[in-house]
Amino acid sequence: MTATLALKVEGLTKQFRGTTALDSVYLEIQPGEIVALIGPSGCGKSTFLRCLTWLEQPDDGFIEVAGQPFGRERIGAVVRRQSGREIDRIRPRIGLVFQQLNLWPHLTALENIVRPQIVVLKRPREEATRRARDLLARLGLADRAERYPHSLSGGQKQRVAIARALAMDPALMLFDEPTSALDPELVGEVLAVLRQLAEAGTTMLVVTHEIGFAANVADRIAFMDHGRIVEEGPARQLIDAPRDPRLKGFLDLVLSHRDGPAPPLA
Amino acid sequence: MRFDPWMLLDYWELLLQGTWLTIRITVMALVLGYLLGIGVALLGMARSRTLRAIAGTYVEVLRNIPFIIILFLVYYGLPFSGVRMPALFAGTLALSLFVSAYYSEIVRAAILALPRGQFESARAIGMSPAQAMWNVVAPQVLRTIIPPSTNMTLTMMKESAVLSSITVPELTYQGLVIQGNTFAPFEVFAAITLIYWMIAIVIAETSRRLEARVGLAQRQSVTRNPIADRYLSLERRPAR
Ligand SMILES: Nc1ncnc2c1ncn2[C@@H]1O[C@H](COP(=O)(O)OP(=O)(O)O)[C@@H](O)[C@H]1O
Ligand SMILES: [Mg+2]
Repeated sequence: MTATLALKVEGLTKQFRGTTALDSVYLEIQPGEIVALIGPSGCGKSTFLRCLTWLEQPDDGFIEVAGQPFGRERIGAVVRRQSGREIDRIRPRIGLVFQQLNLWPHLTALENIVRPQIVVLKRPREEATRRARDLLARLGLADRAERYPHSLSGGQKQRVAIARALAMDPALMLFDEPTSALDPELVGEVLAVLRQLAEAGTTMLVVTHEIGFAANVADRIAFMDHGRIVEEGPARQLIDAPRDPRLKGFLDLVLSHRDGPAPPLA
Repeated sequence: MRFDPWMLLDYWELLLQGTWLTIRITVMALVLGYLLGIGVALLGMARSRTLRAIAGTYVEVLRNIPFIIILFLVYYGLPFSGVRMPALFAGTLALSLFVSAYYSEIVRAAILALPRGQFESARAIGMSPAQAMWNVVAPQVLRTIIPPSTNMTLTMMKESAVLSSITVPELTYQGLVIQGNTFAPFEVFAAITLIYWMIAIVIAETSRRLEARVGLAQRQSVTRNPIADRYLSLERRPAR
């Protein structure tokens, strides 16, 4: 018996009034693996993450999280759509860190992390607080627990958002362009946090246009274009020897901008 | 003819009763109207087009007819469908319906002004729609809805004078009674003006304190510009 996959996506498809945002996407992620998802702007990366969390309902396809069907399940030849309640129960297994973070501004950093544990996982407040403080300490924010989001720096907010998702004990973390909303000098800080998570064995799917991060931290890279994953493979191999002409063009564009202004991607 | 406000002292009991009833009606209509208003606001954001149409029609109809007609429809109309009710009950219900249409628009606008990512991040982490509303949306909306709701409550309180036309013995009705006994309309309505004005001051002051309290808890948090948030977020896309 093989180890249960952290994520298994089969034939995921999503259309918005005629435009196909996701065109039969297949992807498998092993526990502990880090996959970088790259691709030009508008190719469907954000839509993919939103479908994986069922914020957007995919038109077709199947998702399995840690061996558990999510959203739709097959019973023999019949496909059954899960109820809202079933979906809500599985959702904490997938931690999503939004591009805009979406911290809750009326709650302190600590309470942002504590509240969902209490409401969703029914943890007692003491246990939830202990878990939250532990995560804040690990992410170097022990002294920021009582602050409100507005008084935190961009990088600190990001770490609170990461802690909020991690506190739910997800099988998989999703990041949507974690560096794009930050000032350039903070990019290094966030990449260091992601590297730290990677060393702790967190399974991650990271949408990014930091080719350096993809090459050095990710185990695998998946390249998406027009809603399809057109090439995927070990990170270095994909960057050093791209096969698909579209990936070649994309890498040329990104790498030529590396030391210049930000690439016109996000 | 002399201006003689002191004779009103003989009628202080009626004035007090009327004042007290006006206050009670206002509070009842505030509570009932807000419950209805929240319900209609949520209905107006439902996924089902039919439910949204029902909420839209409710608001449109109630906002576009004079309050006195709403009152007559409830008081004289409902008995046709077999419901008989005392004037006070009918009057308070009519006032609640009237004000609920405006409250629902206030609530709806406040919720829509909140960046959608707030609700979505609560849902994505596993909260049900109700849990997301209660833990994330409601506390942030509370502050925005207080000032416009206060204005509407003041309007509604003043509108309650119309209930005198179906013999609800509130402040204006008692004024008419006293006037009938004393034949001194100016003194009577000058006194009534003063009382309405004092009730309005109490409402405004209560709201100011409430706002300060909610604001204190949230002062730190509300530094975002909702319009900027709304248009700069790449994750949001226009609804529909
Ligand atoms: N809610 C939506 N309504 C209509 N079109 C959408 C919506 N969300 C995404 N799209 C379209 O789907 C495509 C993929 O978008 P997105 O997933 O945001 O791309 P990326 O994150 O890779 O830049 C784009 O063409 C976009 O315009
Ligand atoms: Mg995107």
